[in-house]
Amino acid sequence: MKEKLYKKEITLTIVFSILLLLMGHSASIFVLFPVLQQGTLWGFPTQYIIPILLGWFGVAAVCLAMTIMCNKFDDEMEDYVNSLPPSSETKKTDK
Amino acid sequence: MPTEYALSNVWIGIGIVAILFVIFYAVGYMASRKTTSDEDFYAAGFSIGPVTNGLGMAATWASLATFLGVIALILKLQVPFVYLWIQWAISIPLLTLLYGTSLRRMKAFTPATFIRQRYGKPSTVVIVCWMILIMIMYALGQMIGLGRAFELLFGVPYNTAIIVAGIATVGFITIGGMYGATYNAAFQMVVMTIAMVVPMGAIMKIMGSSGWWFPPLAYGDMVPEMLKQIPTFFDMKYDFRWYFALIPAFTLGPIALPHLAMKVFTSSSVKSARWAVVWFALFLGLLFSGTYVVGFAGNFFTATTGRIIEKADQTLLILNVFYNPTLVAAFVMGGAVAAGLSTIGGNLMAIAGLVGSDLLGIIAPNMETSKKMKWGYAALLMGGAAAILMAFRPPKFLVTSILWAFGLLATTATPAILLGVWWKEANKLALIVTSISCGFLFILISPHVIPSICVGKGLVAALGMSGGMVTISLSFAMFIVLSILFNRMSMFKAFAPTLEDKKVIDRIHGWGTDYDESRYNGITWPLIIAAFCIAIFFWGLQPWS
Repeated sequence: MKEKLYKKEITLTIVFSILLLLMGHSASIFVLFPVLQQGTLWGFPTQYIIPILLGWFGVAAVCLAMTIMCNKFDDEMEDYVNSLPPSSETKKTDK
Repeated sequence: MPTEYALSNVWIGIGIVAILFVIFYAVGYMASRKTTSDEDFYAAGFSIGPVTNGLGMAATWASLATFLGVIALILKLQVPFVYLWIQWAISIPLLTLLYGTSLRRMKAFTPATFIRQRYGKPSTVVIVCWMILIMIMYALGQMIGLGRAFELLFGVPYNTAIIVAGIATVGFITIGGMYGATYNAAFQMVVMTIAMVVPMGAIMKIMGSSGWWFPPLAYGDMVPEMLKQIPTFFDMKYDFRWYFALIPAFTLGPIALPHLAMKVFTSSSVKSARWAVVWFALFLGLLFSGTYVVGFAGNFFTATTGRIIEKADQTLLILNVFYNPTLVAAFVMGGAVAAGLSTIGGNLMAIAGLVGSDLLGIIAPNMETSKKMKWGYAALLMGGAAAILMAFRPPKFLVTSILWAFGLLATTATPAILLGVWWKEANKLALIVTSISCGFLFILISPHVIPSICVGKGLVAALGMSGGMVTISLSFAMFIVLSILFNRMSMFKAFAPTLEDKKVIDRIHGWGTDYDESRYNGITWPLIIAAFCIAIFFWGLQPWS
């Protein structure tokens, strides 16, 4: 159980770090692949408006998913810690 | 024809700012009645809910630069500076994910509280000194900006403006402590957002945009005219390395900013801290998108009217004086003042925490709580007084762009915090050696000290992007390699992490007393990261175009 929790914590941290970096630095993708610098959205060039949208709603969406999943993970962690025998002097975690 | 900001009726401006200060003092006074312990003073009693905290986080992060500096840079550099600004939005979410909730779990007041538990006293002194230097640079920049804003608004000499603005500001922040700073910051964020976004609707309508009803995203119909006037406006201009260099300097730097971390720590719970980040992203996104539209409109204004904005940092104010009634223009200036105040509040609280709690915790670990709180008030007041005094004749090395200082923080403090939280092998001596040597190297290779040995040139060097790419990657690699070496050398045994140091890591990740030596340990992945960092180090050393 604890190995599974440990792996899950590391996975959540890596995945959400990468997603946040992608949302905040999406302009780099347009530099790396100039072919994407074509077309418009709502009248703006895509390489302008998409980084702005991802830097606002994209970051918010990733934060929402991060909050839901990490808070659920905290519940699992607390269940695990509370399930340990009293001899291990486990304290209830601060949620 | 040049245009400048000037209110037709200065008393309207004075009235707006006076009303704002009355509100700030009232909030500060009410907050002072709730402050009875050091937990209240430094962390608002760990009681702030997600919406208030999200607003407070956004206000603390969005400084006076959001209203003045960044718009000037968009006017000069156009779209690449928009990209630079967009990535600030991930700073507090990353901070929360990578260490904020872990340190909130241990009820830290500042990141240095963790450094003291994890690495001991000498390491704490090193990190606290770097953080205080950067907080002073930050607060000084805001104080100078505030003085200039008052000078502009009221037409008084700069020195008088500094005294009035400085004392009025430090007064309400000192009275309120973290409760006051947080509630005031939440209110200031509302003022800032309204002042940034709403008047722009009226300006866009006059400029002929049908998207005036939602300024942050609905100005697409102005793009064809903009491209006709400034065909290069949307060009990305720089190569991939320029954009990559934003990550080490401007993403990894701010995540170690103590005043941002302290906002996360004030949350009523770990879960509440994460929800606050969701609100933060929404609120900050709205404000920042307002900034981008002002930058766009400033360029549009100069291109289509033939007028010249000589003082580019006054673009927002000039647009409002030109297109909107005096009352609105004065309110926008009030928004700019609120932006400066919210950041100074955070900076001074961080200085108070670093001096009054972390340094004092080393000098006098057994001090009573009530005395600790008094020292906190004293540290806050002294930090504010120092910022005011230095603002009269600012030392040149301290008024270097705060963006440059982010690279310094990423070099000196970020590796210590992140590796300390996620890696049990992180060594105390390795921290000290790396932080001091790489920190001074960053200063040395910047154009601000010895221009002849500068890494990079022009803007990338001045902002610390090229230097940061070299020293931040070096700092991570050095810390990892030295930690592995020192932990295996008997002569450095005293600096190796103890069992108690390692237990701190498991505990702050929520494992309680269930300790496992193999967790957050090992050297394979850290060595892979070190190799990756060394590759970035050499990439950063290549000539910059």
